[in-house]
Amino acid sequence: MEFKDYEIESSFYDEMFEVDGSPREHCVELHSTLTDLTQLELSTMQERVTRSFYNEGITFIVYGDEAAGERIIPIDCVPRVLANAEWRHIESGLDQRLRALNLFLEDVYNEARIIADGVIPVDVIRGCPQYRIEMRGLSAPYGAWVAVCGTDLVRTNDGFRVLEDNLRVPSGVSYMIATRKAVKANLRNAYRRSQVLDVEHYGKLLLRTLRDIAPPGVSDPTIALLTPGVYNSAFYEHMFLASELDAELVEGRDLIVNDGYVYMRTTSGLRRVDVIYRRVDDDFIDPLVFRPDSYLGVPGLLHAYRLGNVTLANAPGTGVADDKSVYAYVPDIIRYYLSEEPILANVQTNLCRQPEGLEYTLDNLENLVVKQVGGSGGYGMLIGPHATPDERDAFAQEIRSAPDNYISQPVLDLSRAPCLIENEFEPRHVDLRPFILRGHETRIVPGGLCRIALPRGSLVVNSSQGGGAKDIWVLPT
Amino acid sequence: MARYMERAGFMCRLLHIQSEALVDRPIAEIEFGWRRIYTAIDRSPLGGIQGAGPEDDYTLVDAYLLTDELTFVRENPESILSCLERGRENARQIRNCVSEQMWTALNTEFLRIRDIKLTDIWLTSPGSFYAELLAGIDRFTGVATATMYRDEGWHFFRVGQFIERVQFSCSLLLTQTRLELQYGELAEASWRSLLRIFHASGAYDRTYSIEIQPELVLDLLVTDRRIPESLLRSVDRTTQELSSLGDGPNAATSGALRRLAGRLGALLRYDWPDRDDREEVLRQVLTYSRQLHDHLSETYFEYAIQGVPRSDVR
Repeated sequence: MEFKDYEIESSFYDEMFEVDGSPREHCVELHSTLTDLTQLELSTMQERVTRSFYNEGITFIVYGDEAAGERIIPIDCVPRVLANAEWRHIESGLDQRLRALNLFLEDVYNEARIIADGVIPVDVIRGCPQYRIEMRGLSAPYGAWVAVCGTDLVRTNDGFRVLEDNLRVPSGVSYMIATRKAVKANLRNAYRRSQVLDVEHYGKLLLRTLRDIAPPGVSDPTIALLTPGVYNSAFYEHMFLASELDAELVEGRDLIVNDGYVYMRTTSGLRRVDVIYRRVDDDFIDPLVFRPDSYLGVPGLLHAYRLGNVTLANAPGTGVADDKSVYAYVPDIIRYYLSEEPILANVQTNLCRQPEGLEYTLDNLENLVVKQVGGSGGYGMLIGPHATPDERDAFAQEIRSAPDNYISQPVLDLSRAPCLIENEFEPRHVDLRPFILRGHETRIVPGGLCRIALPRGSLVVNSSQGGGAKDIWVLPT
Repeated sequence: MARYMERAGFMCRLLHIQSEALVDRPIAEIEFGWRRIYTAIDRSPLGGIQGAGPEDDYTLVDAYLLTDELTFVRENPESILSCLERGRENARQIRNCVSEQMWTALNTEFLRIRDIKLTDIWLTSPGSFYAELLAGIDRFTGVATATMYRDEGWHFFRVGQFIERVQFSCSLLLTQTRLELQYGELAEASWRSLLRIFHASGAYDRTYSIEIQPELVLDLLVTDRRIPESLLRSVDRTTQELSSLGDGPNAATSGALRRLAGRLGALLRYDWPDRDDREEVLRQVLTYSRQLHDHLSETYFEYAIQGVPRSDVR
């Protein structure tokens, strides 16, 4: 099917086409395959990809909208292609960033040199709700506070930029693999000819990483994956990863802490657990330390962690490093700990906690995206150019009443990629979430989850806000 | 999961036979069929069972509602759709223990019938619908046998399957004997359909004759180990699977569990042939089988933690 009505605008970087409409060099193979397919073949392929998600049970139910039943994230069957050089650039930038953020976490919960040296104001840390005072004086095994990270990147005409770091319980890796399997099965020839780099060994890399960070002296650690339960929207992913790791999938009620050690119930009795890949938020992991009303966690878990008898991945308190206020300082954090210039740039960020940032934000609301520092999932944000004057006024009031809670950023011209929308190729804005692992070394599978803002013109890629996803093909050359 | 799938299979067979009866059997027989199903699952239908009235149409409306309630109504935990849905949820929770093929067989069958409504099948072919559904459920069981890793999970799967089989079969046989006591001698067709539910119609004819004798039907379904779903065979298979499980956290508890299963087998093997109060024996079997389920859960899953584990226990 031809791309005859496909719109290319020079203000948006197009992932497949040059400005003159010719396919980019690394996209020629895929472009040729897609143009050779008929509209019917493409729509059938799209249907098969969607069906495979239902058959696999990769579904979720939205909290508060249970009546709507099971849903899947809409998956687009047209992959996004990255040239090897582009990927190498991203990879080295992500490695650098995660090394620096882990050093930052070790420091901020111990000596806090970065504050003493005036690189980050103490108020920024103190004001961060994800800073966990309970973690003061603690270290993570091998400095791997963050063992699993999902960093959101966007591309504009100026290149790649980091939109945010997800350092708590990033999700989406199972979608990356399921999408790869489904798309690969339907674009077999193009996939083979392009020699796309593999992502399906992610589970092995995760296992190595978790083994790396086992408590000292434990050579063959027992690993468990802690899930909030079957009703969590990411439960499929928890099950999938437990299976990939050959680890037990446990809920809080399956674990007990005794004498400073963590045990899980098995059909043959209690068994000690050495590493917990937890997919439960900090607030809920230990009711004796964090929220006392939590039924999802394990009483005494943090005590066992403090004693060094169990490793939690990621460690509690890592959220301080992906706070949207701290984000603005990440380039300085990289320079401070690594004495290197950041390879991946940040998006320019105005902190409303600072008088000049607040003034600039309020004066330019119609041109800015404003976000709550603790917000996620596309909630609690204002996209200035798309908001009505009344909405902007109401948001300005909120910012004035609690400026510390807000940051603002320019509206980015997110790159676009062709998607199959109602059986036609149409451009949609996309981002990229690679998954980075850090144990004794950094491990990254070449690719990630490409999120799509599906409504025409939308810039919100979050799945909870109607976003979709597509595969990313990283080429070997 | 195994229990829900086994129950779905039983319900499917009952409704398949009932849907056939609706075509040409007398109204009283149809009414008996509904009563047998509801009594066996220990439920009352919404609005109660309408007695056989003079107007066939009236009965047909009832049949429609009852079929719907037992097949598609999610609020009824015994409906086939509910059983499949709960089996699927269980399977989802233990996806790392079931084979990929099992998940696919279960999930695709669930997705296939999830959006079907009774109106889609009622006027044309409810019989074919149930036959097809039963084939899907049988496919799941076959795929499980062919692909599931033979570890502890497999033995728990089989124990669940056989305990459900014992309970459902026993309920059904108990219902049949109670209804006979209540209504007097039952029509031959009701015993014949009972044999069909157990896949034992041909075996009965070969073993005895084509003449139905209720006592012989009961003997066959209870004690003939050659009938794959006879009570005794199901109990023996349960015992066998229990012996394949480890002792669990507490050897004394698991020993008690095995002894209970042994008592159940002895009841059928040695008491049944000599006792006249067969309803009472079946009632006892049902009680024991329910205890078996509870003890199993307490032994391996919901056990109390006794004593302090040593910190070097790995």
